[in-house]
Amino acid sequence: MLTVEGLRVAYGDIEVVHGLDLEVAAGEAVALIGSNGAGKTAALRAVAGLEPGCSGRVRLAGEEITGLPAHALARRGLVYVPAERRLFGAMTVRENLVLGAHPERPDRDRLARVVELFPRLAERRSQPAGTLSGGEQQMVAVGRALMRRPRLLLLDEPSTGLAPVLVEQVYAAFARLREAEALTVLVAEQQVPAALQLADRAYVLEDGRIQLTGTADELTDDPRVRRAYLGLT
Amino acid sequence: MALVLDGVAFGLQLALLATGLTLIYGLAGVLNLAHGQLVVAAAMVGAVALGAGAPVLLALGLAVVTAGAAAVLLDVTLLRPVYRLRGQARVLLSLLLTLGVAFAADGLLVHSFPFTRLNLSVATPSVELLGVTVRSASVVASLVAIVALGGLVVLLRTTRVGRAIRSLTQDEEGAQLCGVDPGRTRRLVFVLGGSMAGLVAVTQGLVSSVGATSGLDLTIFALIVTVVGGLGRVSGAVVAGVLLGVVHAVAAFHIGTVLTFVILLVAAIVVILVRPSGILGGAGS
Ligand SMILES: Nc1ncnc2c1ncn2[C@@H]1O[C@H](COP(=O)(O)OP(=O)(O)OP(=O)(O)O)[C@@H](O)[C@H]1O
Ligand SMILES: [Mg+2]
Repeated sequence: MLTVEGLRVAYGDIEVVHGLDLEVAAGEAVALIGSNGAGKTAALRAVAGLEPGCSGRVRLAGEEITGLPAHALARRGLVYVPAERRLFGAMTVRENLVLGAHPERPDRDRLARVVELFPRLAERRSQPAGTLSGGEQQMVAVGRALMRRPRLLLLDEPSTGLAPVLVEQVYAAFARLREAEALTVLVAEQQVPAALQLADRAYVLEDGRIQLTGTADELTDDPRVRRAYLGLT
Repeated sequence: MALVLDGVAFGLQLALLATGLTLIYGLAGVLNLAHGQLVVAAAMVGAVALGAGAPVLLALGLAVVTAGAAAVLLDVTLLRPVYRLRGQARVLLSLLLTLGVAFAADGLLVHSFPFTRLNLSVATPSVELLGVTVRSASVVASLVAIVALGGLVVLLRTTRVGRAIRSLTQDEEGAQLCGVDPGRTRRLVFVLGGSMAGLVAVTQGLVSSVGATSGLDLTIFALIVTVVGGLGRVSGAVVAGVLLGVVHAVAAFHIGTVLTFVILLVAAIVVILVRPSGILGGAGS
């Protein structure tokens, strides 16, 4: 579904992602793990079209999408959910969700499906998104992305600011979505156990380079990963 | 009572003037100091067309289109470098650039049309309203403003493109991630805001007249109302426009017109001290 070749991202003169190669097959969930400042967010933002100065090649389902702006990628079904969520705080939950499918007309069935996935949102429909709790906001952010029936969902630290119970709930929702809709996911995460449980495969990114890659099971058993990211020996 | 009605009528013009400015600021982060010159450009085109014998509606339509087109032209040409910056830097650069445009446009307009005025107040009959005699031209101007403002609010609240405009105003990157095209939506908002300025030429032409030198005053009015309404807030601009219109009418009657701007500024300062984020308080659009 997604093929990234030689992706480089720089801020000013400082390059922070140095030629990243990465692949996500249709229906697959792939985790991108790495410590603070490794370049996970930079890489996802570049793939999502938010870093116009980046270089490299990106293809979505075989189609060249390098250099396309973020809104064009979203319309093609490559939908990015940033860690900061970027909701429209003064607009209602419902309006936030409906915007997820812009410029398409709001689709009632899809809206019902998303609300069914996150029942909390039903009670909060008419409330301004800015007044929701962190967990509820994360549900709106993911729900908004799902409104488009994305071909590829890019998630940046969906666990940000969430209590452990909520992290589990959010990841459980992703697992259900994968089953129900064969959703394709690329998730960057510091909560490595949750991400490895969801993912089929993972890449370990450090200092802007892939250090290690393998199936989620292989990485869970890898002594280096256990020491550095799982707090185990 | 007559004073209040006068004030509301003038306030509706102010609201129309300021919504164009605040809409563009909210979406694009550009505070357009040449907003008054858009009104003047529209007025001059309208006056020249009328002078050439064009039917009234065609002339006024041309006037409105001129302002909308001039605004979007500004967006796609001179303002391009502004959009590479974000936040405060963008606002500052836009202030400098549009100030330059305002001076240049002023010079050009005054030089080209030294004696032209758009004046539509052809001896209109008076009508009774709430027991007060008012000029029908003033009623028509107010109705035009109400329809335009109402239309804008309906557009913003209920349509998909309106939702896209509000989303961009709140979070540009979030809107892009929702498939909203920022450049295209921005051009649309410049057309809308500019056209509202063009309508001000029409309504002002109805109640008094617009000459080539009116630009700066109009920009100052727009700025005061926009700030009182809360930068970027359309509903705030409407409320602030009507309120300041009444203040203006009452003050002009009791104190005189010499101090108009000073009185409006004092009113604005009081509102801002009481409600720093605009007359409606809170955040959002
Ligand atoms: N806008 C920016 N301007 C300058 N440098 C930046 C910017 N954004 C990120 N960086 C730098 O790029 C590097 C990679 O940052 P990035 O946000 O991609 O890390 P990350 O892997 O997502 O980390 P975290 O897990 O903390 O979110 C860091 O050194 C960071 O300081
Ligand atoms: Mg990050």
